[in-house]
Amino acid sequence: MNTMPKKFPLNHKQWALAKIILAALLLALVIIGGLFLDEGRIVTNLTDRNSPPSLEHLFGTDWLGRDMFTRTIMGLTLSIGVGLIGALGSASIAMFLGMAAATMGKRADRLISWCIDLFLSVPHLVTLILIAFTLGGGFKGIVIGLTLTHWPSLARVIRAEVMQIRSADYVQVSRRMGKSRWWIALHHIVPHVIPQFLVGFMLLFPHVILHEAAVTFIGLGLSPHEPAIGIILSESMKYLSSGMWWLAFFPGLCLLIIVRMFDQIGENIRLLTSSDSNRD
Amino acid sequence: MVEFQDEVRQMRKKLVGMMALVMLMSMVILAGCGSSKPGGNNAENNASQEEKKDELVLAFGSEPEAGFDPTTGWGRYGSPLFQSTLLKRDDELNIVNDLATSYEVNQDGMVWTVKIRDDVKFSDGQPLTAADIVFTFETATNNGSVVDLNSMSKVEAVDDYTVKFTLKAPQSTFVNTLIATGIVPKHAYGKDYAENPIGSGPYQLVQWDKGQQLIVQANPEYYDTPSYFKKITFLFLSEDAAFAAAQAGTVDLAYIPAAFSNQKVTGMRLESVQTVDNRGIAFPYVKSGSVTEDGLPIGNEVTADPAIRQAIDMAVDRKALVDGVLEGQGTPAYTSVDGLPWWNPETVIQDGDMEGAKKLLEEAGWKDTDGDGIREKDSLKAEFTLYYLASDTIRQSLAISVADMLKPLGIHIKLEGGSWDVIGKNMYSSPVMMGWGSHDPQEMYNIYSSETAGIDYYNTGYYSNKKVDEYFEKALHAKTEEEAIEFWKKAQWDGTTGLSGKGDAAWAWLVNINHLYLVKDGLDIGDQRIHVHGHGWPATDNIVEWKWTK
Repeated sequence: MNTMPKKFPLNHKQWALAKIILAALLLALVIIGGLFLDEGRIVTNLTDRNSPPSLEHLFGTDWLGRDMFTRTIMGLTLSIGVGLIGALGSASIAMFLGMAAATMGKRADRLISWCIDLFLSVPHLVTLILIAFTLGGGFKGIVIGLTLTHWPSLARVIRAEVMQIRSADYVQVSRRMGKSRWWIALHHIVPHVIPQFLVGFMLLFPHVILHEAAVTFIGLGLSPHEPAIGIILSESMKYLSSGMWWLAFFPGLCLLIIVRMFDQIGENIRLLTSSDSNRD
Repeated sequence: MVEFQDEVRQMRKKLVGMMALVMLMSMVILAGCGSSKPGGNNAENNASQEEKKDELVLAFGSEPEAGFDPTTGWGRYGSPLFQSTLLKRDDELNIVNDLATSYEVNQDGMVWTVKIRDDVKFSDGQPLTAADIVFTFETATNNGSVVDLNSMSKVEAVDDYTVKFTLKAPQSTFVNTLIATGIVPKHAYGKDYAENPIGSGPYQLVQWDKGQQLIVQANPEYYDTPSYFKKITFLFLSEDAAFAAAQAGTVDLAYIPAAFSNQKVTGMRLESVQTVDNRGIAFPYVKSGSVTEDGLPIGNEVTADPAIRQAIDMAVDRKALVDGVLEGQGTPAYTSVDGLPWWNPETVIQDGDMEGAKKLLEEAGWKDTDGDGIREKDSLKAEFTLYYLASDTIRQSLAISVADMLKPLGIHIKLEGGSWDVIGKNMYSSPVMMGWGSHDPQEMYNIYSSETAGIDYYNTGYYSNKKVDEYFEKALHAKTEEEAIEFWKKAQWDGTTGLSGKGDAAWAWLVNINHLYLVKDGLDIGDQRIHVHGHGWPATDNIVEWKWTK
């Protein structure tokens, strides 16, 4: 790798790696910040309400005098947490179904493909709202809803990947030599699917976070006093016409940045892994 | 002198600058007008102003979706517009005649005889007689809706203009049923009555576009002082949209939330009306252990302790809540009936008294022994979950503020926002942020009597106090409202016990929310009485008195 003749690809890769590290650091900072921020900062302070951004309150305060910076960071941490569980669950379902579709024979494949088509035929925000509502909302409702709705696209990608690998020469050889299905799956297929899985997982993340925000925005998710980013944004709508722009601007911007960060990490991991396979 | 000349020169410069600015602006404005409405703009404007004199456009948040049928609940809050009632309350809340010319209650309080006017016609020209009144009350009983006529055993017409109501038990608050129930015509009542109301009220329906607007016009057959306005349009707008419409000058009156109260709108003034639209915390009064018929748990160990309830009632700083959450547009609440004729002013306590509350808890044995900031008594921690309606910002804000306020006291309040479904499952075993407010003292009976414990949203805490029940009984058996008032007051606080904060503190009442209206300058909306619960509509109570003064 170090002896690559051209300088550009190396820089490209380093650049990608640097971006990943930077983004990861920033995310870690937000999460750590959210975990260590003092709950006391979001206590209501009825004498210091609706104040615009200042040094003391970087993002201003809301209509109950709560510090918006603290609320935003806590909201982001919560969103990332929900996103993590949701994306992990979704990616696991996708991995399992994708593998199963590709290895367990025609009938299983048809069934799973049908399921994927079914879920993809409905916008998954709709399915998500339906599931979250049926489960009575709340943290549990959202997480289960997110997990059950975000797997189809990734499952399809993994299925295609596995299909391709399965028909590769070395896999065929391996099978002729009498290796068991499980052995082949573990030693030949999984290692090749892992990068796809990782990229898929990272790219699911922003999706899941945005949908979490959307569901809490319409009031299906958590109690409205909890600092979730969707709740903060939907609250701020009521105060926009009275000129309190900071209630929506900073939290919205932060959500955008966080989502972009995850997107960046996903994209760059894909770049790293795909340039590897190009040189094979 | 030189200085003076300098000043003159500067002023002249400024003047020229200003004139240039004014000219520029007027050109822009004229150009703007010209492009949208070519020519005759001024004349048109004047014409519409003239025309406006007998028209009115109001923006209210909530639409009466069920329609305008008094037998299913229309007209409880605010004027029924299309119908008229037997009795009504004036601006001082005294009971006065409307359709009735007189009414009397017999010796045992069971039979009410009402004589009515003989000159009343419905808007379709048919006369209103006792038969219509009998029909109205019978229909309302059969509909079994929010109109509570359980206490009435029968209603009959004595002659064309006399009606006799017979009750199952004496009930002085029955007069409020006569005040609130609009009379519907027997000959024109059908399935679609709610959408095509015909009545003897000051207005008649022109058009109702569901979800958008309601247009009414003055009823030419109305027997009392006719309305100043020939046509009134009610727009059903969200709070944001109502405010925007007010800013644009397209409405004459808009109901707005407290969040917008600090902003000036040119050409409009803010009318802040005192209310009994109250919010408070309903505490479970009994110890836990039992369940309702549906298997929902009843009671709460922590709030069953009177010291906890009284300490909370004492420690809450109501003034801070009014200023902080309601932008100053409200009043502290001490009971569910503040300011009404049957309110006992002795129930007002010294609140925001943290030290007193601490002492009370100490004496009752609530001490923080493990140093986590939360008091304990034996193994019981002073903590509970407070439920609030998630979609209501004011309830949410009050819940959060109260929880934070009581933290220094050593009482830990966990919050849980939910829909009415969620609240309904937990309201017998957990405190709930709720609101009431009515011109009917029966409401106090409903939320505090042991007879109504666990019925719907009435008395969710299973409060019961024999003495209070006794006073309620006496108040209901009274012949007149004046007689009853004394007992209503005693039920709140009689010097030793009562339902209010000084006594059992079954509720911690927090605030009364003022109703805010942006009113166009020159529109006189009369003397607004103390408003009841309800979004916007209570203002219409005296809508026939409204007028343009310029």
